[in-house]
Amino acid sequence: MEEEEAKIVFVGHVDHGKSTLIGRLLYDSDSIHDERITEVQGLVEEFKRRFEFAYFLDALEDEMREERTIDTTALMFKGKRLYTLTDVPGHREFIRNMLTGASHADFAVLVVSADEGVREQTKRHLFLLNLLGVPVIAVVINKMDAVSYSRDVFENVCSAVKDVMRSIGINDDVIFIPASAINGENIYKRSENMDWYNGMTLIEALDSVELRRKSEKKLRFVVQDVYEIASCRVVVGRVASGVMNVGDEVVFEPSHTHARIASIKTAERDVSTAEKGDSVGIVLEASDSADSADSADSADSAVSAVRRGDVCGHAHDKPVTVRRFTGEAVLLEHLKTGERLNLKVCTALVDAEVSEISTRIDSESGEVLERFPSEVKAGDAAVIVFETEPVVVERFSEIPPLGRFALLREGKNIGAGIVI
Amino acid sequence: MSSRLRSLENRSIYILREAYAEFDRPAVLWSTGKDSTTVLHLCRKAFFGEVPFPVIHIDTGRKFREMYEFRDRLAREWNLNMIIARNEDALNSGIGPEKGKLACCTALKTQALLKCISEHDFDALILAIRRDEHGVRAKERVYSPRDRNFRWDYRDQPLEVWDYFQRATGEGTHTRVHPILHWRELDVWEFIKNEQIPVNPLYFARNGKRYRSLGCEPCTSPIESNAATIDEIIEELKRTKTAERAGRAQDKEKAFMMMKLRALGYM
Ligand SMILES: Nc1nc2c(ncn2[C@@H]2O[C@H](COP(=O)(O)OP(=O)(O)OP(=O)(O)O)[C@@H](O)[C@H]2O)c(=O)[nH]1
Ligand SMILES: [Mg+2]
Repeated sequence: MEEEEAKIVFVGHVDHGKSTLIGRLLYDSDSIHDERITEVQGLVEEFKRRFEFAYFLDALEDEMREERTIDTTALMFKGKRLYTLTDVPGHREFIRNMLTGASHADFAVLVVSADEGVREQTKRHLFLLNLLGVPVIAVVINKMDAVSYSRDVFENVCSAVKDVMRSIGINDDVIFIPASAINGENIYKRSENMDWYNGMTLIEALDSVELRRKSEKKLRFVVQDVYEIASCRVVVGRVASGVMNVGDEVVFEPSHTHARIASIKTAERDVSTAEKGDSVGIVLEASDSADSADSADSADSAVSAVRRGDVCGHAHDKPVTVRRFTGEAVLLEHLKTGERLNLKVCTALVDAEVSEISTRIDSESGEVLERFPSEVKAGDAAVIVFETEPVVVERFSEIPPLGRFALLREGKNIGAGIVI
Repeated sequence: MSSRLRSLENRSIYILREAYAEFDRPAVLWSTGKDSTTVLHLCRKAFFGEVPFPVIHIDTGRKFREMYEFRDRLAREWNLNMIIARNEDALNSGIGPEKGKLACCTALKTQALLKCISEHDFDALILAIRRDEHGVRAKERVYSPRDRNFRWDYRDQPLEVWDYFQRATGEGTHTRVHPILHWRELDVWEFIKNEQIPVNPLYFARNGKRYRSLGCEPCTSPIESNAATIDEIIEELKRTKTAERAGRAQDKEKAFMMMKLRALGYM
């Protein structure tokens, strides 16, 4: 059987039980190695702590001492299909690690404690998921044991969560699950204390999600490098969207190179086609539309202009080079209008200037705080107009891999955004 | 090849090519174990038949005889540019695991590597760690910056959003690159089978025992197993509840041993 992997991130406010919930899911499904159980038991005794299921994830000494998650963890788990379950910290201080974990997920599960309800990071995490384009598939109302399994409390918290989802513009028509992570109720096994709930357990909800991999039509091949293999120039990279076939007429931008695909190479053999996700090498030949008279020459010059950072598409649907674009980003450091920094879009690394900050957005509420401010603070989101060196971008809503960028200051990633 | 293996491989090749494009002086670490041999094989695929950078083997002088034989044979067949890193001073002083495993691993592995990196001025080290090996490794990034003292600042790892990996900056630093971080142990074996990658004979059962993870001879013990072929290993892994590194003594000496070793620059 071919296994398709689903990557799920668990988000939510600090202490609402994300790590406990994942730990419990792994434990109840018998997915934790005996040595790990012994190791955690040993630690619990050595450090004189109460046993926590979260310790299966919070593997750093500091995390155990501080009783909170510091960095994101990704664990593989086999249910009906294969999962990567990603735990992220709920503490505001570690938003960087939350973004790291969430950006790799296909879907998210929001965890909200029944006794505390919606809190600051509940909202911020929802806002950030929406920005990153990660859909929420389920909301777990956790710690039901602490509110006497009350249906009223559950419903009140649900409606508060729905209000937040609606205000951010997230689909709130998702499964809400009353659960107790600590007791393992409605996580992997059905609870016996909430007969008023007949819906799915968490594992049932996960197993029922359909993995619809969006596949865009337009070909976009991202160039990583150009190798000289047996005196032949091979352009290597990854198909970010669409399909590429031998014989296709293509254009590389921003180097503005027209060519035809002569062959597609993997290490062992030539193939006739490459599709989304494939890492391949391509050999180019002069295209019909190239102006040069001598085809042997133009094939060589065609390839010699192609470089890392180029994006290749079909001649009839070619990538467009821009010098200015608008993005919505979340920032880990402050940023000023007029400031110069670097942007990374796929393999292109370009100089850019913050030409205008259109709006400064509260990453907790999603509300616009200011229009045309001169700066944004660490932790804010913003709509920013960048002036850049020539670079290929696409709207995130159209071709997601080319609509995602990172902001860099002195080589350090200080923010993440999407092209709008 | 299954679509799963293909997508794992595609991502690994993407990471290797990124590292080759972004770093001036990368090198790959090869223990001769199944994971790092898989990474070498992936390098040969990514770079069309050759490994275009040096291959470092850290020789503690305490490895299994089979590991040295396997290393020398494959180094010849794959035409590898080998660098053997040894901490001769420590070896001469007679250090061993008997006096403390943390000290022994630090001297013979971490220090040997530190010296090797500074001698050759490597700015990136490609390593075959996987998230599913250990709780602490589950927290690693694809690019993991190390400071000049080799330390892993696990409290302050970079923002690694999507595939925007962040390298180390600053004099004397280097970046660890992890191309198979997203693979499981089972995936590695299925890939080895599919690709017919040579593996060390120690992994196959003899007299009811086999090695599941290979380290130094004194600190590695075999597991009970009758899996004498790759297919049998794959079947065994689908059923087991034992951890992969259960036979590795250095992980277990003290609480949070793996974290301490890694923070000091252990692989
Ligand atoms: N009563 C009760 N307590 C719970 C439940 N789930 C988790 N807890 C407790 O809540 C505390 C926090 O749980 P964690 O799983 O560490 O919370 P977290 O969301 O991972 O927290 P951060 O990682 O710091 O954001 C722990 O003491 C848990 O034992 C539950 O279902 N019921
Ligand atoms: Mg946690």
